[in-house]
Amino acid sequence: MKHTDSISSIQLAVIIASTIIGVSLLVLPRFIAAEVGEAAILASIVGILISLISVIAITLLARKFREHTIFGCNQLLLGKYFGNLFNYMIVIVFIVIMGLEVRQFAEVLATGLLPNTPIEISIFIMIIICALVGYSNVSTFAYIHFFYLPFLLIPMFFFLFALEDIETYHLLPILGHNLSVKQFLSGAIIMTQVITNYFVIAMLIPYIKDYENCVKHGIWGFFLGALAILYCIVVSLGVFGAKELQEMYWPILSLSRIIQIPGEVLSRIDAIILITWIFAVFTTLLSYYFVIVRGTAELFRTDKYSFITVLMIPVIFVFALIPNNVYEIYEYASKITYVSLFLFIILPVCLLVIGHFRKRTGVQ
Amino acid sequence: MSPYFKKSNHYVDRTPIFPESHIVNKYKDKQITNRLEENVQIFKEIFQKDMDFSVRTFKLFHETQSTIIYLNSLANKDIINNDVIKPLQDHEMDEEKNIILPQYIIENILFFNDVKAIKDIPKIISAIVQGKAIVFIDGIQEALEIDAIEKEKRSIEEPDTERVVRGPRDGFIEQLPINVALLRYRLPIPEFRVEETEVGTRTKTKLAVCYIEDVVNPTLVTEVKKRIDAIKIDGVLDSGYVEQFLEDNPTSPFPQLINTERPNKVVGNLLEGRIAVLMDGSPSALIAPATFNQFYHTTEDYNEHWIISSFVRFFRIIALVFSLTFSSLYVTVISFHPELIPAKYVVAATSGRHSIPFPIVIEVFLMELAMEVLREASVRMPQQVGGALSIVGVLVVGQAAVQAGFVSPITVVIIGMSTIGSFAVPSYNAANTFRMLRFLLIILAGTLGLLGLAAGLMIVVNHMLSLRSFGVPYMDPYAPLNLKALKDSIIRAPFHKLKRRPSNIHPKNPVRVGVTEKDYTNYNFLDEEEREKL
Repeated sequence: MKHTDSISSIQLAVIIASTIIGVSLLVLPRFIAAEVGEAAILASIVGILISLISVIAITLLARKFREHTIFGCNQLLLGKYFGNLFNYMIVIVFIVIMGLEVRQFAEVLATGLLPNTPIEISIFIMIIICALVGYSNVSTFAYIHFFYLPFLLIPMFFFLFALEDIETYHLLPILGHNLSVKQFLSGAIIMTQVITNYFVIAMLIPYIKDYENCVKHGIWGFFLGALAILYCIVVSLGVFGAKELQEMYWPILSLSRIIQIPGEVLSRIDAIILITWIFAVFTTLLSYYFVIVRGTAELFRTDKYSFITVLMIPVIFVFALIPNNVYEIYEYASKITYVSLFLFIILPVCLLVIGHFRKRTGVQ
Repeated sequence: MSPYFKKSNHYVDRTPIFPESHIVNKYKDKQITNRLEENVQIFKEIFQKDMDFSVRTFKLFHETQSTIIYLNSLANKDIINNDVIKPLQDHEMDEEKNIILPQYIIENILFFNDVKAIKDIPKIISAIVQGKAIVFIDGIQEALEIDAIEKEKRSIEEPDTERVVRGPRDGFIEQLPINVALLRYRLPIPEFRVEETEVGTRTKTKLAVCYIEDVVNPTLVTEVKKRIDAIKIDGVLDSGYVEQFLEDNPTSPFPQLINTERPNKVVGNLLEGRIAVLMDGSPSALIAPATFNQFYHTTEDYNEHWIISSFVRFFRIIALVFSLTFSSLYVTVISFHPELIPAKYVVAATSGRHSIPFPIVIEVFLMELAMEVLREASVRMPQQVGGALSIVGVLVVGQAAVQAGFVSPITVVIIGMSTIGSFAVPSYNAANTFRMLRFLLIILAGTLGLLGLAAGLMIVVNHMLSLRSFGVPYMDPYAPLNLKALKDSIIRAPFHKLKRRPSNIHPKNPVRVGVTEKDYTNYNFLDEEEREKL
């Protein structure tokens, strides 16, 4: 069990934050507003707290089983066949999610930036950028996430210019109008679905240098990403209001269109935001690709990462082309995320409980 | 790696075996005899066709038959005449003493610092080809090796590629001993190590691995030596050959070692805990490990005030980014996203374009191509013609192209900006890399707009993030974030803040600036009256 790579727990936190900020954020305010109306902020906070359980579970798992990724933990705690079943499911879910995410962003680009470019090309470019990164080195993966984090926060900075347009009555009442608990929770679950992709850290467990801090820093990183998302929701809800939000397809994109930068150097800020969003989407896709490549390699017990990387390009490409239009993307996405909710939240908690009851010595 | 991984075990060593010199092989493990004629005959056979091979026979102490052989192109004839043959012939031997000849000659007659008695024929052969003179004495089974080499050398000049306004003007030359002397002169300490190795099966080039023993990380020294020992090539003609063997990633366009002709830069890096590799026959030294950060630093940054240096470094970064992205950004904005900039700018930028027959990508691409050709031509031209060429190229051709309606004036401005930007980067090889990558970005931006530009930039940045130089991450102070090293990155902090050597190379001794007591006075202590008031 020797490897020279290592990442610090601060890098782990950064990976969580930059993975969470992804393309789904562009559409998230509409989904939540459609479900719970003005209670969107409260619902998001509850959703974040639900995800927090899983962050804590995974980092605690990291402290307990330092030498295994989630794949190893599954095999160790659930038995070889049962564990491998879950491992295969994780890889497949990530392939599907990545395909949908790429497709979703290609659609955004087609609307906002490149109306004449076929979406296939955008999809292909995004996959190729991810595939050109070598996955044999975990620290490189961490460096890439670290480097792009400031760029991810640029759109957040631009949204400051939209703060003056916020109407307080758009945000009130905080509890929404006559919401049932079920409706409220389904709004919260949407938030949870969107930000569960921090699951990538479960693949990094054997590489963490300082295990003592990983829970603390993991939670900090999660809050950094989650707060950025919450901030976007608050701004878009405050500016547009719940009614108007439901009629926009990508509220964050519309938000960036109304921003005016003083000085008249740039006339359209939304293209800049879209470009920085490419970085955000890239880091998210990179995490997905990382899980797919490293996971597949671990399933087949090989270290031919570059071979798997190349092999996965057409697979993801095909999955990205399956939905016929934007509406179908979100239909598929909401279905697959129910599976992912089980795998990414309930599974780590279960593993932690099982690991707690099975004695460490008896396991190996 | 998890326990479920298997290590692939199918590595086969396919390095070809280098044939050794067949002349040396022929005489391997053979020694000279005590018969003079036989000995001289061996070497006459080897060197008989060479015009510069000299054999001179004389009588040692007026009686014993002796022969001196040397290559007269390399050896200094004056030294051989006056300091070797003359004393050996003239000396009157004390008859009574029971003497052993070679030792007696070395100890009493020859006043060279580098004289050896040798027996092995291969050693004698390599001594002759290095320019040493060999004396054979009849009846004695040993030969004397005398260092009478005179090498041609030029004077020490300021390196052309790394000019400074303020700082020392000396630069390395081709001869290794003089280069080492330039370093020793700046580092008069016993901890400064210069280890010699040899590279090239045919050129037998000397390499010197220089480091400061109590500063450098010992693992780094072992790794550098290991990589040098692994070099298998028939000849190295410049340190650039060695550089390509020492790189971590040979497929990367980015320079992974620093090369410099300035001794003060080498010493500065040695003091940071890095290693320098000097090569005989090359005026540029290699410094390892290198991070990207260092390619926009100059030695002058430390000579000037820190605020000024930080200011200049900031502009170098801008120049670097300019040279990489400016022309592609122009292409993508004009051809795909004119709505990005306010309408009046678009009008200004496109008004000159109505008669241009090409799409803007082709126009910019051709212009960049012409610029590269001009640059290359002015490098190869003799210096007297080079100036004229650049004037003709830039002024006349550029002006004519604009007037003929082939290029829009704004394109000329943009290309000029990006080219000048690349010249503002202090490191020539890093600037070259960025100039090359610019073409990739122009093509991507011309075909896919902002998405292509962003994708190209990401590919470049991801590659840089994955690079390592001797294990040190290439983008070090930025990713992974290294707050202490950030003090000497875009900004150059004052020396009292740079207390520690760069931590990314893990030097043995991290402290370089001690705590100094500051005594700032806000009164004129030269004035006696003011001093008395206190």
